[in-house]
Amino acid sequence: MTLPDRRRFLRGAALAGAGLATGGAAATGGHPGGQGAPATGLPPFHGDRQLSVPAAPRRASAFVAFDVTVDRRAELAGLLRTLTARARFLTSGGTPDPVGITGPPPDSGVLGGRLPAGALAVTVSVGASLFDERFGLAALRPRRLRPMPAFPDDDLRPDWCHGDLSVHLHADDPDTVLHALRDITRHTRGGMQARWRLDGFSSPPRPSGTPRNLMGFKDGTANPDVTDARLMDRLVWVGRGSGEPGWAAGGTYQVVRLIRMLVEFWDRVSLTEQERIFGRQRESGAPLDGDDEHDTPDYAGDPKGDVIPLDAHIRRANPRTAATESGRILRRAYNYDRGMDSNGNLDMGLLFCCYQQDPVRQFEAIQHRLAGEPLTDYVTPFGGGYFFTLPGVRDAADWYGRGLLG
Amino acid sequence: MRLAGPGVRSLRLWGVCAPAVVLVIVVALLVLGRTSHSSRNTAAGPPHTLVEVSPGRCGRGWDDPRPGVQVFDLRNTSDQAADVYLEDPGSRAVYGEAEGIGPGTTRALTVRLGKGAYALRCVPEDADAVMGPTVRVDRGVRGPAAVAVTVHDLIPPAIAYQKWVAGGLDETVRLTGALRAAVDRGDLAAARRAWLPAHLQYERLGAAYDAFGAADRRINGTDAGLPRGVHDPSFTGFHRVEYGLWHGEAARTLRAPAAGLVKAVTTLRDDWAQNRMDPAQLGLRAHEILENTVQFELTGRTDYGSGSSLATARANLDGTREVLTRLRPLLATRYAQLPGLEREMNGAQSLLDGFRHGGRWTRPAELSRADREKTDAVLGDLVERLASVATLCDPRRTS
Repeated sequence: MTLPDRRRFLRGAALAGAGLATGGAAATGGHPGGQGAPATGLPPFHGDRQLSVPAAPRRASAFVAFDVTVDRRAELAGLLRTLTARARFLTSGGTPDPVGITGPPPDSGVLGGRLPAGALAVTVSVGASLFDERFGLAALRPRRLRPMPAFPDDDLRPDWCHGDLSVHLHADDPDTVLHALRDITRHTRGGMQARWRLDGFSSPPRPSGTPRNLMGFKDGTANPDVTDARLMDRLVWVGRGSGEPGWAAGGTYQVVRLIRMLVEFWDRVSLTEQERIFGRQRESGAPLDGDDEHDTPDYAGDPKGDVIPLDAHIRRANPRTAATESGRILRRAYNYDRGMDSNGNLDMGLLFCCYQQDPVRQFEAIQHRLAGEPLTDYVTPFGGGYFFTLPGVRDAADWYGRGLLG
Repeated sequence: MRLAGPGVRSLRLWGVCAPAVVLVIVVALLVLGRTSHSSRNTAAGPPHTLVEVSPGRCGRGWDDPRPGVQVFDLRNTSDQAADVYLEDPGSRAVYGEAEGIGPGTTRALTVRLGKGAYALRCVPEDADAVMGPTVRVDRGVRGPAAVAVTVHDLIPPAIAYQKWVAGGLDETVRLTGALRAAVDRGDLAAARRAWLPAHLQYERLGAAYDAFGAADRRINGTDAGLPRGVHDPSFTGFHRVEYGLWHGEAARTLRAPAAGLVKAVTTLRDDWAQNRMDPAQLGLRAHEILENTVQFELTGRTDYGSGSSLATARANLDGTREVLTRLRPLLATRYAQLPGLEREMNGAQSLLDGFRHGGRWTRPAELSRADREKTDAVLGDLVERLASVATLCDPRRTS
């Protein structure tokens, strides 16, 4: 896998950190996509895999789950072809093809007359419901793809869960994301309808290191190194001979969790309590037994949890044992902010997203370890879904899901 | 809201342009001075060609024909506004247009050219059209095009449509009369039964976006913008009566609104017979009736208690079909996706019919998620397609 060199110097910045739902491993580090970084940092559209997955999160993001509204398999293939054509154009840039007097302008004009190249990343995934009886795809379902279950600390709202397809967009600027969303929905209106949508953003480093979540803690430091191809093959990508259907090679499992943070309540909690809940110092991000964000916590030296409580988030999420090493995930989370609740509280939180080879071995194992952790008093997962990120679009003739439907 | 035909639109343009003419000419001269080549490649984006628009020099400057997406910078060097069409001089198919280019100003027109012959047609505001020299491009695939529709083309379908609407208004008068009679005799159950057919008959006429002007506000307005909302004395017409019938109002309080409705509908019918419909509205109606449906019916915004939004949507579909039927001869040779549009119209009809259970219709809020999404998809797809009908049937002056 080829990633820009800029990613490489970030590798060091990557070993510890408070991941809200994971505590995983290595970081997305600084903020390669934001603030003046050239737009060319995003990976090319064509490839065996959707390289928007390992790409560092950009500043602006939209996550939209769609339901397919056509009935026949050929129409579903047509929808995916259209989606491919739009994604290819939106990521590659150029001048929209004029239509003369035969229709309204082909583009919203939000980005001006000509779209920039390499300014947008698109990730397309499919949900378990796509493999129901409608399209005769049951036998081709990725083996580990099922509807997201309700976990004990969840309070799921059906309108914010699941979907036949998911489209994740991220870019340096919100107008790029919204332009793409309008273009995609416009061209697919008869074939799919948005089921739920949540926009997210990624914060700049404050003042350095991993971006903070809206609880004020550095969040998502410890991600696996996306430039380590062998590690990615062990943790993220579905390979051949893994028991998955042949078409699925090059895909990955996407787990999305919409997590409301009760920020008013959180702001009324003492700093000591906040830090013991996460297991990290708020300002520096260092584990409570260390001095620096990237120090590795020494759980063996603290067996009773005198320094880092046994139920601290980072300790439950990633115990850093040999047994949990293969259970790590690639986190791609964003903050979200969507107005007010009915009682006047601010509605904001985390648009958690992660990628893995096996959601049971990875995400769910972490989730079970986190069950009942003290942090659950301050957060409420209310939506999300499990999806399978399709293999990449190889070339100009290929399309999302061709291996599945072609 | 779009009320205007092209006449109003060019008036508006003039309002903007005329006072600024002098300034614009000065600026244009400055720009002219800077651009020494008539054709240039910008650093990013398609190539530009600077072309002159004037009665004597229409199309001058297009010396370097090439295929692909490109921009013509159309500079109006004359002293009056002009429309410009890029067309195939053989078939008269239009590949691009720029309307109302002010004197002394430059307008960019982006087109895709492929193998074929082209010419610019310059149509000054108050003079005959002038055809520029024919230019040939020897390769490439050209963009979509259609022969312009003129006001002349639209008059026969507009007359036919107007006649159909007149008949529909007669029927509306009759049905609202029956509604009023039920209210007058205090039979509110019968009034509720009579309300829906009367309202649907009116909705079938496609009164979207002020097609009937101020009369529609009296007949079918909502309480939007009224200081006292549903209790405002200016809240009148079908929805006022609906609100009362489904919110337990007494018959005597509904007599005046019901009588007012009959009077307003009758007045509209009589006025309609005296006036001629602007042919330019036909294409807009084909598109905007269902835009209205998406905005007001699928959201339930206009539901004042009867729960008949999807019945209204179904009536609006009928209304759209009536317009399309009359435009069909013009569209058949111009709109390549017409068969797809007609297929989707049929699909929408059977989908909506499925939400009728005897005399009762499912409310939008009661739809299952799958039905809701299907409805939004089908109607959403239709308005995307119908938008092309409006742009194709926008009347253009070609001579």
